[in-house]
Amino acid sequence: MANIPAELRYTKEHEWAKLDGEIITVGITDFAQSSLGDIVFVELPEVGDSIDKEGTFGVVESIKSASDLYSPITGEVVEINEALVDTPDALNSDPYGSWMVKLKTTNPSELEELLSAEDYAPLCEE
Amino acid sequence: MSRTSLFEQHVALKAKLAPFAGFEMPIQYEGVKAEVIAIRENVGVFDVSHMGEFFVEGKDAISFVDYIVTNDFAGAEMGKAVYSPLCREDGTTIDDLIAYKLADQKVMICVNAANIDKDWNWIDSQKSGFDIELTNRSSEFSLLAIQGPKTEETLKSLGFENTSAEYYSAFESKWNGSNVILARTGYTGEDGFEIFGSHETIVKLWSDMMNEGVTPCGLASRDVLRLEVCYPLYGHELNDELTPLDAALKWTVKAKKEKFIGRSALVDTTSKKRLVKLSLDKGIPREGYEVLDSEENSIGIVTSGTMSVVLGKGICLALVDRDKFPENKEFKIQVRKNIMNANYHTKAFVNGGHK
Repeated sequence: MANIPAELRYTKEHEWAKLDGEIITVGITDFAQSSLGDIVFVELPEVGDSIDKEGTFGVVESIKSASDLYSPITGEVVEINEALVDTPDALNSDPYGSWMVKLKTTNPSELEELLSAEDYAPLCEE
Repeated sequence: MSRTSLFEQHVALKAKLAPFAGFEMPIQYEGVKAEVIAIRENVGVFDVSHMGEFFVEGKDAISFVDYIVTNDFAGAEMGKAVYSPLCREDGTTIDDLIAYKLADQKVMICVNAANIDKDWNWIDSQKSGFDIELTNRSSEFSLLAIQGPKTEETLKSLGFENTSAEYYSAFESKWNGSNVILARTGYTGEDGFEIFGSHETIVKLWSDMMNEGVTPCGLASRDVLRLEVCYPLYGHELNDELTPLDAALKWTVKAKKEKFIGRSALVDTTSKKRLVKLSLDKGIPREGYEVLDSEENSIGIVTSGTMSVVLGKGICLALVDRDKFPENKEFKIQVRKNIMNANYHTKAFVNGGHK
């Protein structure tokens, strides 16, 4: 069973988002890391990049395939977790501790559209 | 969707399953990295029962197989296995296969699962004038590939009496009272055996292997292993439009053979493509990515790419237009928006440990 912390918000593309005022922290869910398998490469955006809701903000690659990362909201990249580039396997061992980017929202109404843990859980049934 | 005789075992082992060549196949069990390492350093096993087995029997069995393949089969010693492309008259590739010279009048051909029907129709259409009986026994056999440096000692513990065959040879034998065909072949670059038997026999053998601690391995690790040692995969480096010469398989086209299908198109000619081995220091080349020269002109395309577990780097095979092959041997690969410098390799990325 995939771990789905109740305090986070989610996208249907299997990213998680932690809300803290106008800053949201984004990563991939336990279900996502488990589906991908051994994660070996992460490509992140640059601080200052503007990203649209559902636009790609990076790429995560397993041995087998490359998957785009989709932004939960429209906003600006204010911080990236550069340590992940050297230790992409942390996404497998600790998906909720391994954040990828922090975004500053430019459209706070979008936050309402993110899924709750309860609404996200059915998307993790194989 | 077909299932192999080991489907229930794969489900019980919590394998990730996916469709492959019409079969629901295990892609990975514990994880790709662990499975690659098990085979490079220890021992692992693949269920490859989806592959096809044809038998050619009769007086002309050996000369017929020699005629349909580009490699030298007639000249191989009794008991040898021969890897070869199967080509049309125009040199294009129907499939690549291994032909096993089991006896004077008995040859087994093992073909790719996705090509069973295509190969069968082609081979069957070529048999006139040959005194042979051709049978497609793909659905009768299950097949395990046990691979890795500890294969031989594992087979001994499992009760196989004769495990001394040379690399690329095969013989008929008994295990646990049942008929099996053992071949010292594989697709990993490591020592290992492929074991053909009835479904019942192979289900029992798989279960004994699991009890013996052999690591179950899926098709994802198989792809990494074959790419690390630069073995081509049909549908990637070979296809209906490419010739063996395009895929750097000139060594499998034997000009000294007077007669074989495709000879006029393949002997004394130069290929339009060159297969190159490239790696990246950062990022992973994937199938379909563009290959560029140092001036950033497009010169070819990646046919297979992955992360090498042994090297910890992205590696790939790519087909480059021969007339655009850069003399300075400088290559770049377009990875999404970025153009990355690639390393050009003249040897396989990894040396397998096969005997």
